[in-house]
Amino acid sequence: MKTALRIAAVVAIAALVFAPLRLNGYLLNLLYTTVLYVALAYGWNIISGYAGYFSFGQIAFFGIGAYATGLLVADQHWFWMVAALAGGIVACALAVPLGYVMLRLRGPFFAMGMFGMAQMVRVLVTAIPATGSGAGLFLPPGSSLTGVYYWTLAICLGAIALTLWIDRSAFGLRLQALREDEQVAGTLGVDVTRAKITAFSLSALIPGLLGGGYALFLTYIEPDAAFSSRLDLQSIVMAILGGVGTVWGPLVGGIVMTQVSEALWARFPQIYLMLFGGLLVALLLALPRGIVPAIASRWRAR
Amino acid sequence: MTEPLLEVEGIAIAFGGVQALAGVSLEVRAGEIFSLIGPNGAGKTTLFNVISGVLRPDAGDVRFLGRSIIGRAPHRIAQAGIARTYQIVRPFGRLSVVDNVAVGALIHARTVERARRDAREIVEFVGLAPYADRFASDLTLTQRKRLEVARALALRPKLLLLDEVMAGLTPSEMDGMADFVLGLSERGIAAVCGIEHVMRLVMRISHRIAVLDAGRLIAQGDPHAIQNDPAVIEAYLGTPTVAG
Ligand SMILES: Nc1ncnc2c1ncn2[C@@H]1O[C@H](COP(=O)(O)OP(=O)(O)O)[C@@H](O)[C@H]1O
Ligand SMILES: [Mg+2]
Repeated sequence: MKTALRIAAVVAIAALVFAPLRLNGYLLNLLYTTVLYVALAYGWNIISGYAGYFSFGQIAFFGIGAYATGLLVADQHWFWMVAALAGGIVACALAVPLGYVMLRLRGPFFAMGMFGMAQMVRVLVTAIPATGSGAGLFLPPGSSLTGVYYWTLAICLGAIALTLWIDRSAFGLRLQALREDEQVAGTLGVDVTRAKITAFSLSALIPGLLGGGYALFLTYIEPDAAFSSRLDLQSIVMAILGGVGTVWGPLVGGIVMTQVSEALWARFPQIYLMLFGGLLVALLLALPRGIVPAIASRWRAR
Repeated sequence: MTEPLLEVEGIAIAFGGVQALAGVSLEVRAGEIFSLIGPNGAGKTTLFNVISGVLRPDAGDVRFLGRSIIGRAPHRIAQAGIARTYQIVRPFGRLSVVDNVAVGALIHARTVERARRDAREIVEFVGLAPYADRFASDLTLTQRKRLEVARALALRPKLLLLDEVMAGLTPSEMDGMADFVLGLSERGIAAVCGIEHVMRLVMRISHRIAVLDAGRLIAQGDPHAIQNDPAVIEAYLGTPTVAG
């Protein structure tokens, strides 16, 4: 069983790596978006799944990454991957003071607080004259979709590896403990503030790194695209559908959602959104904790 | 046994209009079993919350091994050697029993595997071995009480604050818990037992007893002295509900 899974993983990764050689533009585009969503879902899953701080604003870090990359590429003429890396580091570093303040909020207050914070960041970023003050920022052409795809794929695989590590580490155990009961975790020796902020900044690093690739993908960034609430919401739904706080939830949820969405869109273009919404509700009603935990508990019950 | 392990000095705290603690002072020595008794609402849990760093008092000081721990974060107090249980059990429901205990073991273990191995031993020690890999939410109340103790022990504390660990147990389970506390004391671990009722056991296991009533200590001394203290009899032992 273990070796079979391992072989499947190697085959899947190889297929993803060689995909750009065989796929046409439309399919590669679709694959890129899928990988991007899954990677975003993995980023969200650390702070919101493992640590239990449900965030509606991780897109702020995606936007920061996108704009930082845009500025570094357009004004400073950096090579885009270096710029995107810098964007991720900036997002991660900003998350430390932001987390210190925001993580004092709990539950719905944190969720809404993060939503508000993302709006604030958006306003601040677009107030800088160099970013085009909301009108947008053109990037000089310099990368192909293939390059952006590989960048995004690498981050996605990195995010999965990071999640695998967290799930088995002392850090992950501390996060899960504080998710269950923060006060008790504290009196059992867990430095909850430090654990939360670390989780939060990792959950900012991933979208921060992805944002730069997205900026190159669009070649033109504007606030609505860089701080896209659609990207944010859809990746959150994927993680929830797959199973919050599990290693494979974001991947499973991401694959199921994009496949179903594409199939419905191709067959029922007029009523696609309605069908999709209905199906999502039905799935979540049937599997309230997500697909992966449902399979896992059935497995254990055998 | 001479130098005090824990010194509580003039602790006062109020919640809105309620003065939960009004200047409480006491000392606990290494390896000692110190019982803090008093009726419901006397302030026992609040004192535990202050000592474990969950609540900051309005006045007073708490010293552990000679150093003030007021204002320290709870995790630092735990790392210094003070562990506590919760009167209203608070298991990490979606973690396994072993992982519940491993969280505390992490302060000594370098890897999570090591922490889990230590945790398994403790789980066995408190008699929860058959449930080690179950979710803590599957445990019964009695088992959850044991899990509270197991998690606290994983910190390898010098001082254990046991908040109403007898409550909800059958008489024979209570005797088991009493023997368990005596065993801790023999291994040099001090215990402060917050106990509302069950005087018989308090008299049997305690080296010293303090009686808390409406946020004030009304008596302090060895079991014999407490039993014969007129203020205690009047305020506390005199009520028929405490015969158990
Ligand atoms: N967090 C809190 N907020 C408000 N009042 C509290 C709080 N904790 C305790 N109290 C009050 O303080 C008093 C002492 O309570 P407690 O310490 O729980 O007593 P005991 O543990 O001895 O039964 C009670 O009147 C209780 O209602
Ligand atoms: Mg109490």
